[in-house]
Amino acid sequence: MNGKVIVITSGKGGVGKTTATASIGAALALEGKQVAVVDMDIGLRNLDVVMGLENRIVFNVVDAIKGKCKIKQAAIKDRRIDSLYLFPASQSDNKDVLTPDSMVRFCKELRKEFDYILLDCPAGIERGFENSVAPADEALVICTPEVSSVRDADRVIGLLLSKSITPRLIVNRIIPEMVERGDMLSHQDVVDVLSIELIGLVEMDDQVVIATNTGISPVLQKGSKAGEAFKRIAQRLNGRKDIPIEVPQVNKSIWKKIGQKLGLG
Amino acid sequence: MLNGFTQELQRIFQGIFGKGKPSSKDTAKNRIQLALICDKLEISEDILKNLQMDIVEVISRYFEIDTQAIKLDISKAEGKSALVVNTPILAAKRQPLPRPEPIKAPRAKGR
Repeated sequence: MNGKVIVITSGKGGVGKTTATASIGAALALEGKQVAVVDMDIGLRNLDVVMGLENRIVFNVVDAIKGKCKIKQAAIKDRRIDSLYLFPASQSDNKDVLTPDSMVRFCKELRKEFDYILLDCPAGIERGFENSVAPADEALVICTPEVSSVRDADRVIGLLLSKSITPRLIVNRIIPEMVERGDMLSHQDVVDVLSIELIGLVEMDDQVVIATNTGISPVLQKGSKAGEAFKRIAQRLNGRKDIPIEVPQVNKSIWKKIGQKLGLG
Repeated sequence: MLNGFTQELQRIFQGIFGKGKPSSKDTAKNRIQLALICDKLEISEDILKNLQMDIVEVISRYFEIDTQAIKLDISKAEGKSALVVNTPILAAKRQPLPRPEPIKAPRAKGR
């Protein structure tokens, strides 16, 4: 096996990297792929709680890289999805314990066992970012339709391009009602500014909060719009170019429909 | 449902009485575009150093200069930026050195 390493990054914190990593990982595994998700936020781990695996941690990614355990011992199998494995971050170290070179070597081993290795990059553009980007073949940049997030995404895109990685973009937490009212940047506005290829649009979804509360992936929640969007992103990552990018739409009320029929919309 | 109805009413009135304020997303887009332009004018130390070395190389072909004393700055005023190179000239060269082969690969990658 020669797996692909994909880094999920954003620059800014709190835009949905961890949720995206867990969801896309779960969706790829549901497609029948062997998937490893790696929490690169050494010292501030969170991917484990998002996936509901926080009680099962014995060894972590730092232990595996430093040879304190075998790589297999650090992998935690998902509770619900068979071919999904988590490599949790260490909570006691800091980002400097890893180096870009050690990450390249670690991922080289993972490539033998997995089809996809998703790296959940920490916020910022310092050592943790360098460590996460060094082994990556591809990158997904995630941003929300806000000025601060778009600015940071632009910075990160610049850094990735200088490392010869052409990232693809996920616009997260779109609120279609606000976009329609003109009070939120549309995905088109974001793409205009960042000018990179889009891979998916994710709507703001209460189900994601519930999923994080319970540790059950939104991909497994029926009717979760974000879950569906992440599934489509996973399919596109997996080479399905025929899956169109769906733009989140306003749920039209009957009055609006009447209004539009009358040509007032 | 009623909420949708009132929104529709608002829209109709907006249509009749013309557009009021520009939407906040337009403000956001303008702000982000301006911020990015400003961000990109901030050039990193490394790039500036590379640029300085290149400039020294070029000027040295024509003048004898004190390569240690050369100063390179980007000054900003009224939304415009200027590159200021300041170097003491020690002497002019009679015969400028021949031009080297054009540089093929850029030294520093950028966007």
